[in-house]
Amino acid sequence: MDLDVYLGAIVGGDTAAFGLWLAYAERTVRDSLRSFAAVVDVESVLQEAMLRVWQVAPRFIADGRPNGLLRLAIRIARNLAVSELRKTRSRPVEAADLEAALAEDEPPVAAPDPMLRRAIAECREKLPAKPREAFDARLTSAGGTDDDDLAQSIGMRLNTFLQNFTRARKLLADCLKKRGVVVDAELGA
Amino acid sequence: MTPEEEDLLIEQVASAWRPGTDDELRYHKAWHDLDAAARVRAFDRARALRPIEAAADPDGLSTTARAVLARIRR
Repeated sequence: MDLDVYLGAIVGGDTAAFGLWLAYAERTVRDSLRSFAAVVDVESVLQEAMLRVWQVAPRFIADGRPNGLLRLAIRIARNLAVSELRKTRSRPVEAADLEAALAEDEPPVAAPDPMLRRAIAECREKLPAKPREAFDARLTSAGGTDDDDLAQSIGMRLNTFLQNFTRARKLLADCLKKRGVVVDAELGA
Repeated sequence: MTPEEEDLLIEQVASAWRPGTDDELRYHKAWHDLDAAARVRAFDRARALRPIEAAADPDGLSTTARAVLARIRR
């Protein structure tokens, strides 16, 4: 899929269109940062990079190849990660690795899975009360509240909240596996 | 640090929450307490969680995507 189908609306300031683009682009850009994971906070870099993509999108000029905005996002994200490395004087990523990622003409794009949506809803329903409360609190906060405050908001201590979230994550992984859904190993770890 | 304590830190770092700022990139405070291997595990855990979050969201958005959109709309 060529995500540049959303480009016109994004350039026009349509945040909903940018949300659709994000839903498809996030994983690819995140994966492009994996080699930095030990030395920079990838979540922080990823969010900042996506914000910058939104800011520069009105000046973006397509080169005629698919997924131009996605390729730009990968470049912004990796440049930001390299800049962070320089600040912290950490061990740099191999230059060849960086160039190989940037040279990709058509990065893979993973689509959200409608079957997974149904399986998640069913497995979520089966979670015990406390783990579900912790899991739902994280989802509802949408990255806007830290775990300390989330824990307080549902009357838990931080460690209890995190233990319940962990339990929810593992139970979801088990439930999804039983339904034949292939999940990342780390989901159930 | 015990493995259990480390795992709770990984769980925090794997969330999409990051300290709020409009002009500077801020790390999760727990990230600094993790060694290299644990940071990679936090990356992998976030990578595993986001599709689950997106599948549970009515608009198909992960908490990362929601956090980015919130900053744009701020």
